[in-house]
Amino acid sequence: MTFLAPFLLAGLATIAVPIFVHLIQRERTRVVHFPSLMFVQKIPYQSVQRRRLRHWFLLLMRCAAIALIVAAFARPFFPRGAAATLAAIGGSREVVVLLDQSASMGYGDHWQRAKDAATLAINQIGVADRATLVVFNRNAEERIRATSDRGRLEGTLRAAQLTDGGTRFGPALKLAESILTRSTLQRREAILISDFQKTGWTGSEDVHFGEGVTLTPISVASTPAPNIAVPSVTFTRTAFQNQERIAVTAGIANKGAAQVNGVPVTLEIGGRQLEAQTVNIAPNSTTSVTFAPFTLTEPSVQGVVKTGSDQLAADNSFDFVINPSQSVSVLVIDSGANPTSSFYLTRALAIGNTPTFQVETVAAARVTPQMLERRTVVVLNDTMVPPGLAGGALKSFVERGGGLLIVFGARTTWPQNETALLPGTLGTVIDRADGRGATIGFRDYSHPVFEIFKAPRSGDFSAARVLHYRALTPGPTDRVLARYDDGAAAAVEKRVGAGRVVAWTTTVNDEWSDLALKPVFLPLVHQLTRYLSQFEQTPSWSTVGQAVDLSMLLKTKADRVVMTPSDERRPMGAGDSAVLELAEHGVYQIRSASSPSAPPDRIAVNIDPAESDLTPIDPAELVAAVTGHAASTPTAAGTAAAELTAEEAEKHQNLWWYLLVAGLLMLTAETVVANRLSTKERFT
Amino acid sequence: MAASEQSSMPGARFVDPKILMRVGNLELLAKTVVDGFINGLHRAPFFGASIDFAEHRGYVPGDDIRRVDWRLYARTDRYYIKQYEADTNTNFTILFDVSKSMNFTSGDGPTKLEYGSFLAACLGYLATRQRDRVGILTFDQNIVTHVPPSAKHFNQVLHVLDRAAAERPGQLSVALHQVAEHFNRRGILLLISDFYDEPDAILDAIKPLRFLGNDVIVFHILDPQEISFDYQDAAAFEDLESREQIPVVPDSFREEYRRLVQAHIETLRRKFSEQRIDYAQITTTEPLDRALFSYLSSRGKLMRVR
Repeated sequence: MTFLAPFLLAGLATIAVPIFVHLIQRERTRVVHFPSLMFVQKIPYQSVQRRRLRHWFLLLMRCAAIALIVAAFARPFFPRGAAATLAAIGGSREVVVLLDQSASMGYGDHWQRAKDAATLAINQIGVADRATLVVFNRNAEERIRATSDRGRLEGTLRAAQLTDGGTRFGPALKLAESILTRSTLQRREAILISDFQKTGWTGSEDVHFGEGVTLTPISVASTPAPNIAVPSVTFTRTAFQNQERIAVTAGIANKGAAQVNGVPVTLEIGGRQLEAQTVNIAPNSTTSVTFAPFTLTEPSVQGVVKTGSDQLAADNSFDFVINPSQSVSVLVIDSGANPTSSFYLTRALAIGNTPTFQVETVAAARVTPQMLERRTVVVLNDTMVPPGLAGGALKSFVERGGGLLIVFGARTTWPQNETALLPGTLGTVIDRADGRGATIGFRDYSHPVFEIFKAPRSGDFSAARVLHYRALTPGPTDRVLARYDDGAAAAVEKRVGAGRVVAWTTTVNDEWSDLALKPVFLPLVHQLTRYLSQFEQTPSWSTVGQAVDLSMLLKTKADRVVMTPSDERRPMGAGDSAVLELAEHGVYQIRSASSPSAPPDRIAVNIDPAESDLTPIDPAELVAAVTGHAASTPTAAGTAAAELTAEEAEKHQNLWWYLLVAGLLMLTAETVVANRLSTKERFT
Repeated sequence: MAASEQSSMPGARFVDPKILMRVGNLELLAKTVVDGFINGLHRAPFFGASIDFAEHRGYVPGDDIRRVDWRLYARTDRYYIKQYEADTNTNFTILFDVSKSMNFTSGDGPTKLEYGSFLAACLGYLATRQRDRVGILTFDQNIVTHVPPSAKHFNQVLHVLDRAAAERPGQLSVALHQVAEHFNRRGILLLISDFYDEPDAILDAIKPLRFLGNDVIVFHILDPQEISFDYQDAAAFEDLESREQIPVVPDSFREEYRRLVQAHIETLRRKFSEQRIDYAQITTTEPLDRALFSYLSSRGKLMRVR
């Protein structure tokens, strides 16, 4: 029990008054005159001192009455019973307990404290109340729905496990909002139990609890929370004697406020430790560790970088899977008449390393259909359709998934029988040399080619001047990727079969345009080629929470068996959905059901690097953003049950009223007893 | 009582006609014969000239020869003298205790002082009708007022009774010793008091009066509460005379108090009886006429015995 006005308990000192009165009371002031006390004096009587002891009961009644009244004025209430009292007095409650099970909750005893707080909240569910248990990381999952059965709730809570997922409050709060909005109970409240990572709340979540819905945050965050993590790994590939050597560089982050020295960092490849180093990391900073290169001899090699030990072990290791680098084979076909027509293009492609481009330039007249074999992308650079590819060879190449980049120039001609490959209808040469020339005014940033230029200062196309271009009228199914400032199409895409065709209406050398001299030329060429080749780099790792389509990743459909990092065997049939949700930190192994002895494909999964940042957000800020009004921020240690403010709890419980009535009744009883005693014997 | 209060005669309120109507049917007979010259209802202590023959005695020289019974001489040839009982008046003195303890009443009734005044007035009036000489002496620890007995002092007696006030503490034994010095003639002494003193001390003080040949009549006046001690609430009991206060719990005191009071009364009754002193205990709630009636009845019986 606690008191809303504890200073009034000083009034208990008035208990000394009846005690003092009992101590000093000897007689009443009323005097009876009597003719003579001759006979009275002969009668022995008991002294006041001895008789006073017989009035302990009266004294206790008086003290109790004072104590009750003083306690009533101090306005007592039971904080732990506030919720239950509220349920009993203020109506039934619809409670949604939101329990954070993200990876960061594995820090120290956060998870256990969170479960304890949830248990406490569940224990306060009244008979008429309903509670829903929602566990969340990046996503929210409703484990048990709207029940008053504490046993089921506690059982479900006990079954809840810590996950490796990231933290996002938005989905959990939205789920709670939907549950509470549909509820018909009088009081609706959500209890959010989390470490309140700042990274879990961006402020842009569109969550707003309605009127009457309260959000009670219970923080289990530790302050400070020192943490060392391996947030990233990069690879440097080099060729050495026709073998690819890879140097691993790991980033090591110190999230604490104190410098850490001698942190061990180890690199393991294929289950074998290759190297170990120690590093010193300044507070709140990151350093990198570069290991000696090693030779990659086989695909899908598993590796891991491990660093020291702290209270959050999940981010102390970083798994990855390395595959030999892939290259895109590009056949550049030009007219052969101008030796510089493909100069800029081939130089640009030679620089690429992700992927690398293997470029072969050949004159149109010497092209044969065999040249298309093992080619991924064909570039027709200001030339006609090669005679060797006419008659459907080129079309067939594209339909099989090949990429075709058509660069228009003065020497470009297009036969009528190959119009199926041409995006739109080719027109005349437009001369814009009379002025400042044309500029590329519109880019379709939603297209993969131009997506990387979307951000500001990510590529200045306006600096390039186009003096001539070929008019191209796109077909109804063609997609314009870029336009000149006069609205004419600069780049148009057409899908043919499984392949892609992009027409660029000006030259890629300095003949009609100076685009090749501008900085944006290199990334543009790389993006075009990568897009046309449909290149997708196999990631060396994924993040927990991502889902991968195995059929796309492995480019085959077959019966597979997936072994999760926790050694769970998960069969996936060829006809089933091949989407695998990566929920665990570690390495997933995918084996073919038909050849289980074959080397498995691997997918390395790491926790979201944001989970390593344990900086908490002020729970009151989150509550204010969600509910629109401030709220108290109880901690799990003490006030998990404080769904109500102290004033509200006291107001609902009204214990003072009962105490006051009890005190008055005690006074009445005291009056009766005192009168009886005084009539029986005055001096006790 | 109301009629008497309207009378112009001082102390007339004490002569309640209702009381006198009932007491007047009886004769107040003196116990002893006192000296006097006025015939009355009382028997004189000496033989004298009266109409009631008492006895014959032999003649001795010096006797008045007119009292010789010549008829008896004729029959016996001896000289005998006829003696008669002489009815004469006596001194009727009221000894009235006016100590502060007498100024007590437990209710709406008269205080002991008032009640004693009524009683004294009634008996004085009766004595006056008997042609006795009536006087009064009030006392507390000393003699306060003294009106010598006289046939003409009845009004003064009433005046003294009317003005009597209980103002000082009393000391019965001391006062009575002083009183004894004022009586050199035999008579009737009517002592009215609450007798808050030790019985032996009281007797020691009264004995001298009795030894002078006085007929002593004692009225012991008490308030009913002084006998029953029927108080309910505990309180501080204050002695009216000494002002001493004592905490009293009536319930626990009552039985013992009653026993002591009754023992005191019985002791007084016994000791007064041993000294041939008439004793009557009267409470202030007791009808005055009935008390006098019962007392005078007992006095009549005693006279016949004598």
